[in-house]
Amino acid sequence: MTTWQVWGALLLAPYVLVFFVFVLYPVSYGLWLARNPESYRTLFEDPIFFTTVVNTIFFLLVAVNLKFVLALYLSGFFVHDRRWIRWLSVIFILPWAMPAIPTIFSIRFMFNPEWGVVNQTIFRLTGLDGPNWLTNPDLAMAMAMGVHIWKALPFWTLILMAGRLAIPKELYEAASVDGATAWQKFKYVTWPSLRTLYITSTLLSLIWTLGDFNSVYLLTGGQPADKTHVLATLGIRYIRLDQLDHAMATIVVALPFVLPLVYFMMRRLSGDEQKTSQ
Amino acid sequence: MATVVFDSIFKSFGSTKVLHGISLDIANGEFMVLVGPSGCGKSTLLRMLAGLEDIGGGTIAIDGRVVNDLDSKDRDIAMVFQSYALYPHMTVGENMGFSLRLRNDERKRIEDRVAHAARILNLEPYLKRYPRELSGGQRQRVAMGRAIVRDPKVFLFDEPLSNLDAKLRVAMRAEIKALHQRLKTTTVYVTHDQVEAMTMADRIAVMNDGRIEQLGRPLELYDRPANLFVAQFIGSPAMNVFDGTYRNGAVEALGARWPCSAKAHEGQPVKYGIRPVHFDFGSGVEAEVVVVEPMGAETELVVKIGGQSLTVATHGRSPAAPGDRISLAPNAKHAHLFDAASGARL
Repeated sequence: MTTWQVWGALLLAPYVLVFFVFVLYPVSYGLWLARNPESYRTLFEDPIFFTTVVNTIFFLLVAVNLKFVLALYLSGFFVHDRRWIRWLSVIFILPWAMPAIPTIFSIRFMFNPEWGVVNQTIFRLTGLDGPNWLTNPDLAMAMAMGVHIWKALPFWTLILMAGRLAIPKELYEAASVDGATAWQKFKYVTWPSLRTLYITSTLLSLIWTLGDFNSVYLLTGGQPADKTHVLATLGIRYIRLDQLDHAMATIVVALPFVLPLVYFMMRRLSGDEQKTSQ
Repeated sequence: MATVVFDSIFKSFGSTKVLHGISLDIANGEFMVLVGPSGCGKSTLLRMLAGLEDIGGGTIAIDGRVVNDLDSKDRDIAMVFQSYALYPHMTVGENMGFSLRLRNDERKRIEDRVAHAARILNLEPYLKRYPRELSGGQRQRVAMGRAIVRDPKVFLFDEPLSNLDAKLRVAMRAEIKALHQRLKTTTVYVTHDQVEAMTMADRIAVMNDGRIEQLGRPLELYDRPANLFVAQFIGSPAMNVFDGTYRNGAVEALGARWPCSAKAHEGQPVKYGIRPVHFDFGSGVEAEVVVVEPMGAETELVVKIGGQSLTVATHGRSPAAPGDRISLAPNAKHAHLFDAASGARL
């Protein structure tokens, strides 16, 4: 080995060490814990697991897409250069900037069916009991999605704003002169320029949302009756029940969701997709 | 084809006034060039005509119809941008046909018109390509093609050649000029380059600081600039201008007497202007050669007279070398006098 290569190996060593200790070893250990086929059989027989998979797919498809449609729309609003819009954008970013535990717990308290401020207000104004926000499984799931969207929307709006700001202003001016309406400008100028970013961001968000533990666990804890779990929170349930092998199996089961997403994501980022799509 | 009339146009950005009551009539089929240094308001005026900028005050009329409150798309104009502003996700053909597509024209008609424009601009081999696959000059032609396809009442050009290299700029200049002679569409062309203005325009409006300094045919501006600004802006190399005093039918300046045909009051402080080409060699003002710039067809000499640098241009080659002392005879017929205070032509 030349001195140059020795230096290379030396400088690489810390990273390789960290990678082995904190990535390769835990992942392998997890897979080793999840090696027992019996744990998958009992997992698949657990009715809560089936509900959880349905919840997860529903959560991913609805929450992520709704979030992105909203982010696309709001990014168009927030790129306007007005003073009051700049102030509004600061307030808009707050939910994303604040830590998850206090914010989501506040929402949980606000929507408590009995003593939460929302239902108390409804009762005071109408004399009727408000909905069981967090104790009706469907409503609680919708609320969890709402919290997820509320918390992540500012970030993706910012990303799409950056995408919009990168579109040359002259293209819109040329389109105006060419006779385009606002909708046609979006269709022929904004969307073609933003499409790659939008799809890549959606993929990334799908991966992140699959691992979003906070929005569900802090709001509902998987309750009522373990009907609002997603794969990210189900593992914790099994750990609490001292079923570590089931917890690990849950994570392994999520891999068929994650790996294709990661694969498409990497392909897009490496530029293959852009070459074919343009 | 149409006339364009600007009537007392004002414009401010915040507290900064950028246009101070511009009035300008452009005739049917005319090639009007707005020229001036950056920040003079020429692009703002063009963008107001295009409907991309609100009109602060006054009216703009196209073909006799006031367009102040009309959207860009309803003004029947086509614009070529400095950055070309081609839609990156559309092919050349789609770019050119876009406005017709938005108008819901028939497919056949769009194809015919795009093919026609492509033939005029030699773009036929490139119709299926994307803008990123074209050179700067080709992109520029596509931008022009997009304008031609519309067959608009007025063509607007906003510094369309600024992003091209020098050689291509000269070639495209000729192409735009030829195109105008062929189509005879009223054209408003904005540039900061006085050579472009001189070579292309039917008439030039020289703008400075939100006002029109002078309006006229290119050679009128060259021969009889209305003020110092126009005198120094139009013509390349720029006119020599220096301070002097008018006495006995000539100007005393830089330790010499400078002949002129214009008249001023006896003892009046004036600015004396003379273009570099309007010197003869022979008896006259003594000068020292500082720099010799041979360009083949002509030679430019930078000379010092009484401590001031002046430029002298001669046809062909010059035997002068740096350090030589020469004698120059300014051509009185081509000398310009300006009031020292106001800069107005005398």
